[in-house]
Amino acid sequence: MRRVAVIGVGVTKFGLHDRTSAELFAEAGADALADAGIPASAVQALYYGNVVGGETEHQLHTGPQAASVLGIPSVPTTRFETACASSHAAFRHAVMEIAAGVSDVVMVGGAERVLNVSTAESTEYFAYASDAVWEQPLGLTFPGVFALIARAHMQKYGTTEAQMAAVAVKNHKHGALNPKAQFQKQITIEQVLKSAYVADPLKLFDCCPFSDGGAALVLASEEVARRHRKPVWVLASAAASDWMLLGDKRDLSRVPATERAAAAAYRQAGLGPHDVDVVELHDCFTIAEIVATEGLGLFEAGAGGRAAEEGRTSLGGEIPVNPSGGLKAKGHPIGATGAAQIAEIVTQLRGEAGPRQVDGARKGLTHTLGGNTATVLVSLFGRD
Amino acid sequence: MTEPSITVRAFFERVRAGQLVAIRCESCGELAIPPKELCPKCGARAWRQEPLGGDGTIASYTVIRVAPRAHAGEAPYALAVVALKEGVSVLGRIVDIPLESLAVGLPVRFRPRIASDHQASIGFGPA
Repeated sequence: MRRVAVIGVGVTKFGLHDRTSAELFAEAGADALADAGIPASAVQALYYGNVVGGETEHQLHTGPQAASVLGIPSVPTTRFETACASSHAAFRHAVMEIAAGVSDVVMVGGAERVLNVSTAESTEYFAYASDAVWEQPLGLTFPGVFALIARAHMQKYGTTEAQMAAVAVKNHKHGALNPKAQFQKQITIEQVLKSAYVADPLKLFDCCPFSDGGAALVLASEEVARRHRKPVWVLASAAASDWMLLGDKRDLSRVPATERAAAAAYRQAGLGPHDVDVVELHDCFTIAEIVATEGLGLFEAGAGGRAAEEGRTSLGGEIPVNPSGGLKAKGHPIGATGAAQIAEIVTQLRGEAGPRQVDGARKGLTHTLGGNTATVLVSLFGRD
Repeated sequence: MTEPSITVRAFFERVRAGQLVAIRCESCGELAIPPKELCPKCGARAWRQEPLGGDGTIASYTVIRVAPRAHAGEAPYALAVVALKEGVSVLGRIVDIPLESLAVGLPVRFRPRIASDHQASIGFGPA
């Protein structure tokens, strides 16, 4: 298998936009090409993530549509839908296309537009990623899924609402350093704890926002990447799935797909959790970050809440998690999230993250979770 | 082609009639909630239906306060993953239990729930 590098990244500001998801992707895509210093004509394929385009924009066939708006209509495009992990799944397949020798330059992108519909409507569309027969008729929501996980984690390990709040405070602190973040202001533990319950025990400030945004990456084979500045190498990219129904998951305090994807990624790269200097992980809810830090092996099972509270995952801590602000503060345009996390790690490993730079970061990890924890992708990155 | 162990449609017809049904693998004895074509434990394709008693305890629960559009008028309402006595778990809507008395480990009992659109779903009420 050939080595693969990320040679260009582009991310729009996340938040409310009066533009279609394809326009948002196109901005990010053009920025990624400019960052890579290659012409659009060099791109041989587009792997694209978009989730609720059919619902919020009445738009299917979003792959070629996005490619057309960017201005690369003739390359083969494929749209991936693995709920919130869509563009990370797209990334993994793009890596395999280059590693297999099929193409030398591939673009990965993702975009989402949801702020053009009401919260009740977007809550319903996101719930389509839970089971339509067994779960949706009960009125399950995504905050509900992670509330059930939170309650189980609290019961098993004594994790507290204040520990979850510490994740939100930390990610807002990081987001305040990111000019592309949807929320760039700090919050306090008290503000989180006093915010209204959305799905007990999760409160409004435990939840990431609904967001519009786009992200894109340019991937290249080693031969092409060597001609470009600061290639960031893909050391591993692994995926895992798990039972769809919450009732079929045997221990709600864990996310087995995270554990399996992480184990596969560490094996591919010949690395362990303690070799990683910086992590961008899927904090769609504060409890999701706590459970992910445990599933990735950064902390023992049950120790993630305390670690967040003690500042061990903050910038300047032993393993900075979500220096971008994470989904919580940077925002979560679901189709774009996986690619945006990778863009942040590439920026960190290049040493170009400005005030949120993790000093001396050489190896980074991205973790993206889809929907009801039934999809997880984990990738590892390194610089020369 | 073998007959499916129990279709989703048949399962919810049984729910409507007050019966919760699981499937048991005739090869390895694994108990599961349908539909599953192959046994996740041994890979066999030999299920038989097995009625469940409907008794269990709350493994985890939440109170939904911001609901999807289709359920907006129902909030707040509670959902729980219930560990049934026979060893399988299932998500259900809590009915007739005050929200403030919910707790992990609380014994509950299956109740069929018929929505305003006549769709049957799984509910759990006081044991």
